[in-house]
Amino acid sequence: MICCKECIELLHDYLDGELNPEIEASLEEHFADCPPCIAFVNTYKSTTRLCKDTLKSNDIPDAVKSRLKEFVDKNKNT
Amino acid sequence: MGFSDPTKDKAIEEQLVKDLQAGEMRSFEQLANLYQKKIYSLSFNLTRNATDSQDVTQEVLLILFRKGHTFQGKSAFSSWVYRITLNASYMKLRSRKREPSVSIDDLLPSFNKAGFQQEKIQDWSESTESLLFDNETREVIQKAVDLLPDKEKVVFILRDVEGLSTEKVGNILELTIPAVKSRLHRARLFLRKKLANYFGEYKTRKESK
Repeated sequence: MICCKECIELLHDYLDGELNPEIEASLEEHFADCPPCIAFVNTYKSTTRLCKDTLKSNDIPDAVKSRLKEFVDKNKNT
Repeated sequence: MGFSDPTKDKAIEEQLVKDLQAGEMRSFEQLANLYQKKIYSLSFNLTRNATDSQDVTQEVLLILFRKGHTFQGKSAFSSWVYRITLNASYMKLRSRKREPSVSIDDLLPSFNKAGFQQEKIQDWSESTESLLFDNETREVIQKAVDLLPDKEKVVFILRDVEGLSTEKVGNILELTIPAVKSRLHRARLFLRKKLANYFGEYKTRKESK
């Protein structure tokens, strides 16, 4: 049977659906019997989502936005 | 400009780039509007400093303005913009005293001889929703990402935060697909461990109440 170490090494490709069906089936067989790996997969997925949600919202502050606009206007007229 | 239809948007952008290459400066303003948020956001995630990110955004826009006509189209225009943004952001970081980076290997999962997990793994994935917009949580997440070594950080930001494809990230950073995947996986493992310390503790505190 495939071990936790191998499962975790293959996790990226597993979540992207890029494993061949045979290997994917052995991973799922392992997961069915291994609560720590299930917890690992869930928290691995959450990590990506949480970081994305936190870091994606870097809106440009209004003050910076207007300075950039001035900058663009100045350059397009030169 | 609307952004509802990706194929149409792509065609509009391609035309703008062609105009820029032909020295048509009206397209500069539209391209600046299209790209400034992406440039700023990427730079902010690398420098974590609003002034630096503003400087970087201006520098990149200036390069587009002055050198846009020299863009040869060997790779995608957006890849070129991302590469210039990365270089400008790294220049800012070079002039700054930096925190010593952490060894990523120390935070990778550990296994026994048979390859089974040695640590007790808590599943905190369900208890994060209410904490997401909490300032403390945001700070913990930002600090964890800031601690990533540069090689892994840039892949993580481009791929998982900006949502670019593995191929595109490989193209921007001149890395093979397996190298992109391996760096991304290491980054996620590192961050998972960092967040596990925080959310796992929170979950234990909540359950013991």
